[in-house]
Amino acid sequence: MGKITDSIKEKLEKIKASKEYQKKIKELKKRDPFVYKNF
Amino acid sequence: MIKLGISAFYHDSAACVTIDNNVIAATEEERFSGVKHDSTFPKNSIKWCLSKAKIKLKDINEVHWYESPEKKDHRVSTTFAKKPFRTFFLNRKYKKSKKSQNPKDILESMGYTGKIIYHDHHYSHAAFSYYTSNFNNSAILTVDGVGEWETTTISIGNGNSIEQLESINFPNSLGMLYSTVTSFLGFKPNEGEYKVMGLAPYGNPDVYLEKLEKVFNWNNGKYIIDQKYFTWEYSDKIMFNKKLCQLLELPPRLPEDTLTQDHKDLASSLQRLYEQEFLKLVRRAKDLTGSENLCLGGGCAYNGVANALAYKYFKSIHIPFAPSDAGSAIGVCLDRHTKVSPYLGPEYPSLYTKVLVKYYSNKIVGFRLSDDKLIKTVAELLNSQKIIAWYQGRMEFGARALGNRSILASPMNPKMREKLNYVIKKREGFRPFAPSVLEDKAHLFFEIKEPVPYMNQVVKAKVDFLPAATHIDGTCRVQTVTRKQNQRYYDLLDEIGRLTGIPVLLNTSFNLKDQTITQDPKEAIKRFISSDIDFLVIGNYLIKKQNGKNYR
Repeated sequence: MGKITDSIKEKLEKIKASKEYQKKIKELKKRDPFVYKNF
Repeated sequence: MIKLGISAFYHDSAACVTIDNNVIAATEEERFSGVKHDSTFPKNSIKWCLSKAKIKLKDINEVHWYESPEKKDHRVSTTFAKKPFRTFFLNRKYKKSKKSQNPKDILESMGYTGKIIYHDHHYSHAAFSYYTSNFNNSAILTVDGVGEWETTTISIGNGNSIEQLESINFPNSLGMLYSTVTSFLGFKPNEGEYKVMGLAPYGNPDVYLEKLEKVFNWNNGKYIIDQKYFTWEYSDKIMFNKKLCQLLELPPRLPEDTLTQDHKDLASSLQRLYEQEFLKLVRRAKDLTGSENLCLGGGCAYNGVANALAYKYFKSIHIPFAPSDAGSAIGVCLDRHTKVSPYLGPEYPSLYTKVLVKYYSNKIVGFRLSDDKLIKTVAELLNSQKIIAWYQGRMEFGARALGNRSILASPMNPKMREKLNYVIKKREGFRPFAPSVLEDKAHLFFEIKEPVPYMNQVVKAKVDFLPAATHIDGTCRVQTVTRKQNQRYYDLLDEIGRLTGIPVLLNTSFNLKDQTITQDPKEAIKRFISSDIDFLVIGNYLIKKQNGKNYR
């Protein structure tokens, strides 16, 4: 039971982290320009 | 033979005029536009270089362009073709900019119809480094973000020829990896790399090193970078994707976010990774050339910590004063060795200063002093912990102020670093300041192997009484000064040595927050008036504020 709970917890944390990463990336993309020009 | 060298449209646009391989004038466009790292066509720089050389555009025999637009176009179109749908709009944007960035069209519109010679981007870096060195035989290692295809090259210089031996191509780029993590840490690429270098000693390099190493592979002496973490081939908005965050188990930092220990650890790990991989390239250069000498070029040669590690394989190292794209405008004009001073930019007559001092007389007061009196007075002021803006002669070319457009202070005052960072320059407190020292005394204070005239090596301090110019890890990005190199600055350091026994000064560029380095005396006075700098010296004029007031 404990193992299942831990595994679900871990997955939920990963999903949460993933959303956080995506949110920050989206925000960073709005900053102009946050890249090393190569084109 | 009169040549005009130009670099433009990536970073740090610049122009240079040479006559029979002698550099007459060179300057960067940002100095005129006030836009940091200005990448637009350097019209103002060209105009100034021509006027300095007392020639017209029609007198130019050859224009030398610092890269091959054709080869670059091949790389970009090949890259976009890999992901045609994803790069559809980017491709359209690129094609539009390509049209307006054709060197021939631009030069024709200015009235130049003569010969244009295009050089490879990394050759231009290599030429600037090798031909400004004292070596008759040398390995040449160039590392940057990307040129046409190449991101890293190893060449050998023999006499007056340069032969490329090996190269690594886009998208495998050590420079772009450094810039990517710079942007991940919330700093602007092509500018914030200095901040990452400055932040690195505050972190633990072991924390993220193993993770970062996962993006790297070596095969037959060449590195390969796993592209699944990066967007270099299809985005002009961001350099990494979610997979990099997952690899690091860390969200990217926005510029306004607080710097945490995680960020410091990541900066530290990146710097360690860079040093590791750079050192492998240095060793490869040694193996391929067998030379005792090494010339470094490309933007990555601003990484002073890594540069100093190259002594592991080479006896002598040369790094020019502007190893990034700006210096390429000079490099392309050279076809043999030549002595080039970094003081290649504009200078102004003292009469202009006199007029300006009078014009701003409600806010400042200026005294014209003799050479001796000036040096003695300024040394005494510095010794009494005053901060001096020091403006002399021709402006430096490149990112470093080397004693002609500098803010000077005592390196012995532990509070000076904080004051300069927070009050004067209004920048992050973790950023270090560099010391200038008389070359013949440098060994007493710093662990240097050779003179470092252009501040591009980071070395250990031997003493603990230079806290304002020593980083948290006990290192310094030192500048050694000879009288031949800069007479007045040498005399000032010498006088400070006589006064204190320590001929060392803290030297940082004369600019305030987000500004380019001060170009002309008017700008110097305006910046002085609006800042907390105590005194301004322009030529022989010692200038102070009326009633010691700051006007903001």
